[in-house]
Amino acid sequence: MNPFSNEPVLDLRRGEVRESLTAALTGVERSLPLRVPVLIGDQSGAGEGIESLDPGRPSRVVAVAGTASASDVDAAVTAAGRGHREWGGRSAEERAAVLLRAAGVLRARRAPLAALQVLECAKPWAEADADVCEAIDFLEYYARQAVELAAGRELIQVPGERNTMTYRPLGVVAVISPWNFPLAIPCGMVAAALATGNAVVLKPAEQAPGSALMLAEALREAGVPAEALALLPGYGEAGQALVRHPGVHAIAFTGSGAVGLEIVRTAAETPDEQGHVKRVVAEMGGKNAVIVDSDADLDEAVPAIVRSAFVYAGQKCSAAARILAHEAIADPLLERLAGAVEVLRVGQAGTFGTDVPPVIEREAQERVERYAALAGAEGRVVARQDELPEPGFFCAPTVACDLPEASAVLTEEVFGPLVAVERVGDVEEATDRIEASPFALTGGLFSRNPRTVELVARRSPVGNLYVNRHITGAMVGRQPFGGNRRSGVGAKAGGPDYLLQFVGPHVVTENTMRHGLVVE
Amino acid sequence: MVDEGELERRIREIGGALERALPSRARHPVRSLDERAMQLASEDAELKAALFRFVDVTPACRSLDDLSRHLAGFLGEVEQTPPPLRVAMRMAETGPGRAVLGAASARGVRHMAHRFIVGESPRAALGVLGGLWDGGAASSVDLLGEATVTAAEADRYAVRCSDALETLAQACAAWPERPALERDSAGPLPRANLSVKVSALTPLLRPEAPEVGRDDAARRLRPLLRRARDLGAHLHIDMESLDSLETTLELVFELLDEHELADGPSAGIVLQAYLRDSAEQLDRILAWARASGRRPALTVRLVKGAYWDHEVVEARQHGWAPPVFEDKRESDRNFEALTRRLLDARPLVRVAVASHNLRSVAHAIGYNRTRGGADEDLELQVLRGLGDDLLHALTRQDLRVRAYCPVGDMVAGMAYLVRRLLENTANDSFLSEQARGADLDRLLAAP
Ligand SMILES: Cc1cc2nc3c(=O)[nH]c(=O)nc-3n(C[C@H](O)[C@H](O)[C@H](O)COP(=O)(O)OP(=O)(O)OC[C@H]3O[C@@H](n4cnc5c(N)ncnc54)[C@H](O)[C@@H]3O)c2cc1C
Repeated sequence: MNPFSNEPVLDLRRGEVRESLTAALTGVERSLPLRVPVLIGDQSGAGEGIESLDPGRPSRVVAVAGTASASDVDAAVTAAGRGHREWGGRSAEERAAVLLRAAGVLRARRAPLAALQVLECAKPWAEADADVCEAIDFLEYYARQAVELAAGRELIQVPGERNTMTYRPLGVVAVISPWNFPLAIPCGMVAAALATGNAVVLKPAEQAPGSALMLAEALREAGVPAEALALLPGYGEAGQALVRHPGVHAIAFTGSGAVGLEIVRTAAETPDEQGHVKRVVAEMGGKNAVIVDSDADLDEAVPAIVRSAFVYAGQKCSAAARILAHEAIADPLLERLAGAVEVLRVGQAGTFGTDVPPVIEREAQERVERYAALAGAEGRVVARQDELPEPGFFCAPTVACDLPEASAVLTEEVFGPLVAVERVGDVEEATDRIEASPFALTGGLFSRNPRTVELVARRSPVGNLYVNRHITGAMVGRQPFGGNRRSGVGAKAGGPDYLLQFVGPHVVTENTMRHGLVVE
Repeated sequence: MVDEGELERRIREIGGALERALPSRARHPVRSLDERAMQLASEDAELKAALFRFVDVTPACRSLDDLSRHLAGFLGEVEQTPPPLRVAMRMAETGPGRAVLGAASARGVRHMAHRFIVGESPRAALGVLGGLWDGGAASSVDLLGEATVTAAEADRYAVRCSDALETLAQACAAWPERPALERDSAGPLPRANLSVKVSALTPLLRPEAPEVGRDDAARRLRPLLRRARDLGAHLHIDMESLDSLETTLELVFELLDEHELADGPSAGIVLQAYLRDSAEQLDRILAWARASGRRPALTVRLVKGAYWDHEVVEARQHGWAPPVFEDKRESDRNFEALTRRLLDARPLVRVAVASHNLRSVAHAIGYNRTRGGADEDLELQVLRGLGDDLLHALTRQDLRVRAYCPVGDMVAGMAYLVRRLLENTANDSFLSEQARGADLDRLLAAP
């Protein structure tokens, strides 16, 4: 295997590249609605029950998906138990070969896969393409990591004793994935579990079943046995049943804090008939802050903040929500940030040049509007676009400031195009405020003083700190991604420790002495 | 076809004559001090990084104390600090020491800046511009500024450009006549000359949607073109990174094709020879010029390209093949190939060759003469601060040379200054090779 390298994103500066994407979009549009059945072993259920809509044109149904019932969940976990025995019995190399083949399948379908995200999740092209690339990266990266892991670890050896340490799959892994990275995030969690020999039951977000189906199809086409991968489209109940099921060994989840904590609680219940303790890997929300020191280059800070807070309408767990600005530059920063937000292009995800697409659904739109109204009531709104396109779940990109420290706008995750600016006396004060937050996912710092960079890097609790750049867009292998505190439990995705969460260590110590002689 | 041997002989001759006409370094003690600092920096990568990061942050520091803390911070990252800098670090340990160190280093940075930036405003620059004219050189003014991220900033830049056109046109009118700088065989050449940047004219540059930036920039560039036409000034649209190339080309072609701008002003664009597909861009430019038939002819300024690191890093981070040549000699060779095509395309376009590379410049002059072209139909351009010596030599040979003169305050100018300093100390740049004392044969060898 050649060494891992990231799948290159498309160069959208090139007209012919844009044209090929637009053509792919037309092709996918013609095939709508997609049918997403419950897939358990060789059985394929009816694809009806859930409708995923185009957030930019809610009258259009993108996918019609089945809703997994309690008995579907049971059947899927039981089948996965069998699937695990077969799949987990293969060598790491064999499994890796299958995953690399799946990466190839996705690679061959990059344009339609990105187009589907444009339609199903209103992901603008650059983001949709990057998501598909990240999915490919996860397959390529974990396949290699798993082969490495299979070699086991070196232990201390003394005469007359042979020690080996190896890792084995846990069994059945339930993957519960969000809609905001509709291919990459499920793919990452599924690929990690499969690469290490587990069987997977995937319950994707009800807003994005289409991309999940594409993932399942690619993996099965590449040679993942049907019983080693089940697809359970459905609502929250299906996920709950899955988490509760005693046949599940581990749960990999990415999503909101509320659901994540509920999963941690449920998984901890260990009924007598369950012969193991469940493990939970959970990536949850953030309330990510960017510190802008007095010596920051605002020419760079402003565009980077705009990108961090408003790309994909702020619907990334890594997105910037709070800006802690040194009082010496707070006024010019606010003025320039407000001006930069006023010219953002709010529009359809499929239109090249769109900065802020619609949010995922009406409920999200209403939530963002509530926080924006609160920001206006408790503080000051300094930028907001009044005219929004129709139809679609559009939210006005908003910049707020002068909020009281306890304001919900500053403490709760909004998950939308809203950013709040706070003044601080110095960087120490900024780090104190971040220190006080229960979230610790990503963070940013703009400073040109090496000592300040050192100070913040040492004190910041976040999982991913970005210095003098935007704080979103972690790359597999380059920025292993994941939060601390209430933002997540578990190792970083796309990093060297991630797979360890899907295996159990086994140490064998053999006495090699026979009749007083060492027999090796 | 040209006789290549003959041309090479000619290039040697021209290059040699220019070299002899360069002012001797000994007569500029101050400048050589600057150059020694540059030399020091170009020999030690860590030191260079520290110094440039320091220069970069200078205008953002709130006090001399703050400034020296930054300096100490940067120097702290240099493994082997030269003795004078160790002294500086010790000074940074106390309050009074920091005040002295801060003042000294601020002076140093300001001094460097003045070498490249001719004044805080166009009005303040008039003395230097008039002096250049008297010395036999034309100029083009470039207004430095912070990045444009808002509509208000784009508007302000457009107003500054419009005011600058006014100020320049008025002041130039009083300059003495200099036929060599005011005419070529195609007709008169404006005295007032302003270079503008598209990225400053719109906050909406979107690499994946060139039409968005084009339309927004057009709203501000159109009135500037009108103004330039009415004042009889030349407006040059600079080229920046590849992200804005499509926007820039489309913008210029579209506006110059508009009926009201059909007979003026004199306008120009830039072709970057380091781009692998620059030959196709030249095809496009010539095709447009042919189809449009606009007069005065479009001036094409040929450069190698100032965003080499940016393009390479951007490509590498995205996993793309770099859009620029990766071997310096390929850029140099392509520069010569494009020089020839451009000169051969006259009078469809006017040609300005912008370089500090003696070989590249001598090649342009030599090729032009070999093809029977008149010297007046080739303009040479240099950057103020980097190409001053070459400018001097070219004027002594009665060649038409134009100095690109940035104007603006320290804050606005810092990005420009750092870019120039980096360029000057880049290992394979012509200027640092020349500064290291490479011999003339080597400097003039065909790339
Ligand atoms: C009057 C004037 C106006 C200008 N306007 C513009 C403009 O609008 N847009 C713009 O982009 N630039 C502009 N430039 C800058 C120009 O592009 C060059 O950066 C600069 O002139 C240095 O080139 P040179 O020929 O003088 O020196 P040289 O030392 O001969 O060449 C240096 C150049 O070679 C190229 N290079 C360096 N390393 C490599 C490598 N490893 N592989 C391939 N190529 C390499 C780079 O382009 C670098 O700038 C202008 C320059 C002048 C003099």
